[in-house]
Amino acid sequence: MKESLMEIVCCPMDKHDLELDAAERDDGEIITGTLTCTDCGESYPIEDGIPNLLPPDMRDEA
Amino acid sequence: MTDEASTAAGLAERRGEETKVYQPAEDSGLLADAAAEFARGRTLEVGTGSGWVAEQVAPEVPEIVAADVNPHACQQARERGIEAVRTNLMDAFAEGSFETVLFNPPYLPTDPENEWDDWMEQALSGGESGRELIEPFLDDLGRVLAPGGQALLLVSSLAGFEEVEELARDAGFVPEEVRQESYPFETLSILRLTRFTLCGKPSSGKID
Repeated sequence: MKESLMEIVCCPMDKHDLELDAAERDDGEIITGTLTCTDCGESYPIEDGIPNLLPPDMRDEA
Repeated sequence: MTDEASTAAGLAERRGEETKVYQPAEDSGLLADAAAEFARGRTLEVGTGSGWVAEQVAPEVPEIVAADVNPHACQQARERGIEAVRTNLMDAFAEGSFETVLFNPPYLPTDPENEWDDWMEQALSGGESGRELIEPFLDDLGRVLAPGGQALLLVSSLAGFEEVEELARDAGFVPEEVRQESYPFETLSILRLTRFTLCGKPSSGKID
């Protein structure tokens, strides 16, 4: 994901802003990292360049 | 129309789909065609599937984002060079983010006892009414649209065209049919939804 996506994504549960912690970047994109809700503290993984913004109870089915 | 033809299983079989991601079909082509004419500004495709529609629309708009609940769909969209977000409908998008929202929803009416519970079923089934995903989509649409924003919604006669129009009006939108094509088992339309306004302010959609 590009960092500019931060402007338009939010916590799926309470709609508050997310904070980005990028672990791996490539060519201006975030490949792995986490997005953490600034209000409820729930964190969401970024894997293979795709943020997984499903609530925790829906996250693991694949 | 036979019962078999009206089920998600029947359509999936006719389309020869055994994969985990819905691939482009007539409905995708119709949505892409309408989007090429109407899409503007930052655009979201909800339930992008293979990402094909988003890829067609990308050259027409300054920015496009694709969302899907299916991780395999997100991967396919990203492989097409489309920014992908795994989320349920528009849950993870902030208020007023998009000028255009595109949605080709799962709309096949499905008997609950016949659902087969995999990614393809989720991509096709609109529940018993065919409108199970359309209702929450319309409920949340006004939140993610920027002022003056619009949505292009694919509607099949199988999901009930008039029922969907009524739901759109109830959610405060004016539905305008901008495309229509008939096929042996269904008629597909694209509804362009804009906010119903009175005196320049969004209203509840009804004149008292």
